[in-house]
Amino acid sequence: MPSTQDWINNPLGVVEGMFAASQNSPNSGWEMKAVEFFKDQLKEKDTHTLVPSLNDVPLHYLKPNSLVKFRCFIQDMFDPEFYMSAYETVDPSTKAKALRCGKYRDVTECGVDFNSSNTVTSERQTFYCVPIPGENPWVKEKYAGDSQARVVPSTSYVPSRQKRSHEDDEDDDMDTQPQKQREPHTGPHSQTEQHGSSDCKRQETEAPSGPAASASQVDLNFPLPGERGPACLVKVYENWDSFKLNEMLEVFGILSVSPALSALAEEKDATSSLLDPMEGMESAEEQRVHCPPASLVPRLHMLCARTLPHNNPLLPAAAPGDNSASLSASVSEMASVREELLAYFTHVLLGDALAAEYLVLHLISDVYTRRDVLPLGKFTLNLSGCPTVSSYTERLYQIIQQLVPSSFYLGMSLQNMNQMSFVPRKDYVANRLVSGALQLARNTTLFLDETKLQQGQLDATGVRNVTALGNLISWQKVDYDFNYHQMEFPCNINVLVASEGRSLLPSDSQVHLQPQVAPAQLDQYLGSLHLHPQTSAQLNKFRMYLSMARLLDYSISDEVTKSVEDDFVDMRKDDPQSVSAEDLHRMLVVARLLSVSLGRTSLSRDGWLRAKHIEMQRKSRVEQHKSVNGNEP
Amino acid sequence: THRDYRMPCYSTKGEKCKRFLQEFYTEDDNGKKVFKYGAQLVALAHREQVSLFVELDDVAEEDPELVESICENAKRYTGLFADAVHELLPEYRERDVVAKDSLDVYIEHRLMMEQRGRDPADTRDSRNQYPPELMRRFELYFKSPTTAKPKVVRDIRADSIGHLVTVRGIVTRATEVKPMMAVATYTCDQCGAETYQPIQSPTFMPLVMCPSQECVTNKSGGRLYLQTRGSKFVKFQELRIQEHSDQVPVGNIPRSMTVYARGENTRQAQPGDHVAITGVFLPLLRTGYSQAVQGLLSETYLESHSITLMNKTEDDELGNDELSEEELREFTSEEFYDKLAGSIAPEIYGHEDVKKALLLLLVGGVQQAPKGMKIRGNINICLMGDPGVAKSQLLSYIDRLAPRSQYTTGRGSSGVGLTAAVMRDPLTGEMTLEGGALVLADQGICCIDEFDKMADADRTAIHEVMEQQTISIAKAGIMTSLNARCSILAAANPAYGRYNPRKTIEQNIQLPAALLSRFDLLWLIQDKPDPDADLRLAQHITYVHQHCRQPPSHFTPIHMKLMRRYIAMCKKRQPVVPESLADYITAAYVEMRKEARVSKDTTFTSARTLLSILRLATALARLRLMDTVEKEDVNEAMRLMEMSKDSLQADKSSNTRTQRPADVIFSLVRELATEGVAGRGGAGGTVRMAEAEQRCVSRGFTPAQFQEALEEYEELNVWQVNQARSRITFV
Repeated sequence: MPSTQDWINNPLGVVEGMFAASQNSPNSGWEMKAVEFFKDQLKEKDTHTLVPSLNDVPLHYLKPNSLVKFRCFIQDMFDPEFYMSAYETVDPSTKAKALRCGKYRDVTECGVDFNSSNTVTSERQTFYCVPIPGENPWVKEKYAGDSQARVVPSTSYVPSRQKRSHEDDEDDDMDTQPQKQREPHTGPHSQTEQHGSSDCKRQETEAPSGPAASASQVDLNFPLPGERGPACLVKVYENWDSFKLNEMLEVFGILSVSPALSALAEEKDATSSLLDPMEGMESAEEQRVHCPPASLVPRLHMLCARTLPHNNPLLPAAAPGDNSASLSASVSEMASVREELLAYFTHVLLGDALAAEYLVLHLISDVYTRRDVLPLGKFTLNLSGCPTVSSYTERLYQIIQQLVPSSFYLGMSLQNMNQMSFVPRKDYVANRLVSGALQLARNTTLFLDETKLQQGQLDATGVRNVTALGNLISWQKVDYDFNYHQMEFPCNINVLVASEGRSLLPSDSQVHLQPQVAPAQLDQYLGSLHLHPQTSAQLNKFRMYLSMARLLDYSISDEVTKSVEDDFVDMRKDDPQSVSAEDLHRMLVVARLLSVSLGRTSLSRDGWLRAKHIEMQRKSRVEQHKSVNGNEP
Repeated sequence: THRDYRMPCYSTKGEKCKRFLQEFYTEDDNGKKVFKYGAQLVALAHREQVSLFVELDDVAEEDPELVESICENAKRYTGLFADAVHELLPEYRERDVVAKDSLDVYIEHRLMMEQRGRDPADTRDSRNQYPPELMRRFELYFKSPTTAKPKVVRDIRADSIGHLVTVRGIVTRATEVKPMMAVATYTCDQCGAETYQPIQSPTFMPLVMCPSQECVTNKSGGRLYLQTRGSKFVKFQELRIQEHSDQVPVGNIPRSMTVYARGENTRQAQPGDHVAITGVFLPLLRTGYSQAVQGLLSETYLESHSITLMNKTEDDELGNDELSEEELREFTSEEFYDKLAGSIAPEIYGHEDVKKALLLLLVGGVQQAPKGMKIRGNINICLMGDPGVAKSQLLSYIDRLAPRSQYTTGRGSSGVGLTAAVMRDPLTGEMTLEGGALVLADQGICCIDEFDKMADADRTAIHEVMEQQTISIAKAGIMTSLNARCSILAAANPAYGRYNPRKTIEQNIQLPAALLSRFDLLWLIQDKPDPDADLRLAQHITYVHQHCRQPPSHFTPIHMKLMRRYIAMCKKRQPVVPESLADYITAAYVEMRKEARVSKDTTFTSARTLLSILRLATALARLRLMDTVEKEDVNEAMRLMEMSKDSLQADKSSNTRTQRPADVIFSLVRELATEGVAGRGGAGGTVRMAEAEQRCVSRGFTPAQFQEALEEYEELNVWQVNQARSRITFV
């Protein structure tokens, strides 16, 4: 049994050992055994915290070919590649042949015998992964704090390199072998081309892609502007069909940052334009996307991975079934936490208890299933009547940001609507999916600030963006643009719209804010709002509560169903115009969320009546507001 | 030694290929032997044909084993067959061939040189011999057996390498067609000998030293120079295909694949085309440094043998065989009609009759062409209704279900609009005719949303489409008539937000009566409170929330694909109306006309109505896969007509309490009786049974309901029925 250090620092050694052992006994299934070995190691208590994470350790601190983990989001899936999972090498001096394992690595050893009949060709899949979009700072900090990995700077690590940018690393690579190789057939033309491409990269680096643009940012195709962190090409060796686009993953794999990878790309680049007629297709852009320098986009050879049902570090990450015992203790507290949270939200929402109630319901909503095209459980909230003074909406977002694992603030200014790309689109030149702001992981809170919208002209992009938002809210799907056709990708995004009047976007429920604070004191009140003391213990309680409520099972008994049905028929009898099938849908969702928010796993008659009651309250408020304003639709 | 072992094996295979090409024949209708490949070889020999397709179905007739080996080792067999053809060609040459291009002249010249200089003592280096690739002017391709199903890009795995596969996809990229060197020809500056180098891989290392006997023995150090004119180039194009969206599992990105097309296969497809490509899946051979570094990875491509373009319909019809017995059984059950209708947009609750009408629209009636007059068989339906009653969902579902359809809105944004437009090509200045949605939906269904907001120009043109099924163009010197044999499914919103039952349809929809009368059925979908329906609706919704899935109705919706196939099967039927039914239909029509005159009807009952009934009835017969229309079909058609009229008279049902069918039938019969009294001057309260049934059926009741009512009131002793059950007498 190898020691801990061995399997973390030299996982390839473990794999190769198993490969060598299997050579005497064919059909030994060593591949499965290797994967099982790592799974078993990680199963042991807390061992996974010993593995350094790409998320919080800078790349140049990590030892190449060591085991690392990466908490990520599948942004794109490339075509599968064929590689040699076993190959034979010939020693040039002794002519001794040896069988090698090609799995979990990018570069072969020298002296490969390409005509050997012992070569085995296998298939692997590449995912382009980025850190989870919109992941909030508190989540990152918590994960980083939990890590017990002792990061020892790798042996090749030289302190002076720390300050060098990635490009310099790359230049470093260029200085080696391939450059010399290239020289014979590079005229001045290709020399400039090479410079051109690195210039171009630099430009990209400097282009402000968001308010928080920094020098280390290259076009890594992050869904949201202003994101940072490593992007990674994850190579998947088995079961790749079980992974889906936009899933959150925790990948354990072998890090590969071999400079030869970038060298290969450079070499290809140079030859393509001159010699090779066949290569005309693989454009330089495609090359850059699929073979970026390893120092920028490391390769990660997946040993095992699990999909994350949520991204809350405070909750155990295991499947909901396993941890019911640990949850149940906290479930009993849920009602009391809810009261505290409600009080806090009431305070934040200027003393409006009803709006606070709806905000809680919204934050725990989740598309739990889909019936044909209809997503069930979505609960988009439109908070209308938001004060436009003292940047109230931004403050509100900051508070929500503190509570949910991932979120994104989108000011719906005309400029944003006309310029941002919301919908991911396939770029056939570079052969990749260019991300958009609506490519988000499940249960990300998307905060739409409509108070930022002014009068003006929406151009074609703007109209498309508004349509995309509308589709997202109504159907919880985004139509990715594949140029020749569109493809529907279901999503699960909590959309919260803050607006002055009724939002121009559809919503499941609209609550008009009724501030209990006199307009004169609003400024002062808002000023004190942010300073409201929140101990971190209480914050953590709220965070746990919101994530946990989503994981609860929920059912409706036949008895309650019956009474709900009768209720509906009665309501229709009294006033058919005001109660439609849609209203029933919504009331059932409200009832569900209400029950779950109290930690109850089934609907009671009381719960139903309560849901009906708050819905009535909300509706009458909307009506009332309509009659005051008169011209509202 | 290794070589010696293998050669005979393949040479016998080569003999096999030769024999097949020579001896394969089919028999035509007169029993005469047609040598399919022999004839093509003649054409090849005379340079009248370039590509020869070897159909593996034909090979299978002779030697099924050979097909298997061809599919598994296609590259090798392409060579074997090409060698066979090459050897056979001189035998098939019947006359001298005029050289077509310079390469032909070169080849001729070279052959002459070879013959002249043939000297048994002259042992030439193999390099200096003419490689077969240089002399060949034909291309050989395989056509995959019809039994092989086209694959999806993601199903082509490592185990398919070297195999002949057929994939479907959409072309996303196509390079320009470039010449690619197939054989490089060099001449030596010392001895003048030609040297040839066949090229297989994408890159090659040019030869430098002359290998000829002369230069080698003399050590003269002859340098080779590349001769472009003597080299052979082939057309080469690289394509990239991507999976169709419906072949991609949910939550995955479509995969793509590189395709190399050479020679005649170039310029077959453009980006955006749907294609099926047969080809050999091969790894890309790299040489030199990149091979060494690349090491572990190998790229792959599909060497295309045939590229076929497909449109949306063909695409769906591929592998569309007749339904199997088992599948058919599903459709022969008792309530298949309800089941089929219910399977249309199962997520939309209720509206059974509307769905039935839509089902008939999908199947379509039979087109009649008595004495050159054309009467359309396509059924047009207009759905009206308050906003938010799922009209658009129904439309988009039909659009998805129909194999050929166009979805558009009345506010069509493009300049082409609904009908057609004449456009000037900006590059060539030529006038071209561009079809709009209606033309593109020829032989299919055109779904038009927001029908009421249609542009005036389109509105006038649509009159013609709906009855004559053509579009006439007289613009910019182009006078023509385009086919637009499509069914129209329209959705319209009422002019005043909500439908006002007190106004006529024309006022409500703001469309001229002439246009409205061209619809076979007009439905008004309204949101009305009804305790029973409400309860069912509530049950439906609560079930979904309770169990997170569709309630278990008495059927599971039929799958879209199966439905499409069934409808395609129905469409093949051409049912006729038997003589015996003619009287029945005429009587019913006369009855309806009478009815229309008496009551203040908001719709027209005209000759068009009669045609509509016939269309619906034939569609119903098609649906049952029958060749004759039966009385039940006509009854159901009339019932649907009546229901659609009922839906328009919105206030009727909400004002009067819903009556039991029996009561309505009773009042109908009594009405008939009083009419009879007035008309015939006191024939008493007697009504003929047939007449009564006719009247009731025309009002949308089933004969069964009529019989029920008859018995019920007979028991109450309100009327009496005579022994022969042909007369009803009021007591």
